Amino acid sequence: MNQSRMKKISMSFGILGVVAVLILHYMVFFWVPTESSMGIVQRIFYIHVPSWWVAFISFGIVALCSGVYLWLGDDRLDAAAVTAAEGGMIFTTIGLLTGPLWGKIAWGAWWTWEPRLTLALLLWFIYLGYFLVRRSALNPEKGKRLAAVVGIIGVLDIPLIHVSVSWLRSLHPEAVVLNPDGPTLDGSMLATLLVGLLAYSLIFVCLFTVRYATELIDRGTQIQDV
Amino acid sequence: MIGFMRYLLTNRIGLASIVMVFCYPAVALAQSGGALPLGSQTLGRAYWHVFVAYAIAWLLVAFWIAAMSRRLFRIENRINKSVDD
Repeated sequence: MNQSRMKKISMSFGILGVVAVLILHYMVFFWVPTESSMGIVQRIFYIHVPSWWVAFISFGIVALCSGVYLWLGDDRLDAAAVTAAEGGMIFTTIGLLTGPLWGKIAWGAWWTWEPRLTLALLLWFIYLGYFLVRRSALNPEKGKRLAAVVGIIGVLDIPLIHVSVSWLRSLHPEAVVLNPDGPTLDGSMLATLLVGLLAYSLIFVCLFTVRYATELIDRGTQIQDV
Repeated sequence: MIGFMRYLLTNRIGLASIVMVFCYPAVALAQSGGALPLGSQTLGRAYWHVFVAYAIAWLLVAFWIAAMSRRLFRIENRINKSVDD
């Protein structure tokens, strides 16, 4: 894919993302009703869930690209994996920081070592390890391969995070959208959440494309310098 | 990306969007009213939590964009240097 096409794609997603973000914020603060038990603080939900959604997609991309990279050895796949891991770290951090702000009001505690929260924090540390392994290896190629293995292992934590609320005793609320009985949310809340998911996904695709192009240029110029 | 950020900062709509992001807590506070039953509960009054959560989310995204811009700037410098050499 040439650079001008990539630029067009990222710009299109960026513009759509900004529009979706504006619509999301209008819906969150002017349209959606206040939740009856938690009050205004429940509005954090509309950025908390989308941030985890994007984080999971990112780490899925990391695992997929890492797996194929280990198989084919194509450097572009490693570039895509590291780009997605970077995005994943950003959105995981958003999820980890917005959760306690909500939890302090809803549960009366910033943090509890219950299964979902602990596994979510573990995910953050696994992908921190992904970057540390890359940077600490003396041989960069070996570092890439080791990081790819960490990226694949890390993604196994995601299904555990998902099922932790139903399989284990957890303080965290159960899934309100992806549960076997269908969404249990009010229609307007579900619509706002879906707009949030769309907005975050569009913003992620835009930034991923830009960051991926940057990574490819960076690697290309480094090879030329050598 | 740098061009887009410059455009956002110099364009009126762009500036208005940035201002809007930071005005949401004020809007949320204004919306609270006193008529709702929740208005009398302490549980629903943590506006600053909502403000901080939204601010953190967008600041982290902005941080990622800034990191990308820095990297692009560094690459640009490297390319210019190699052309000069």
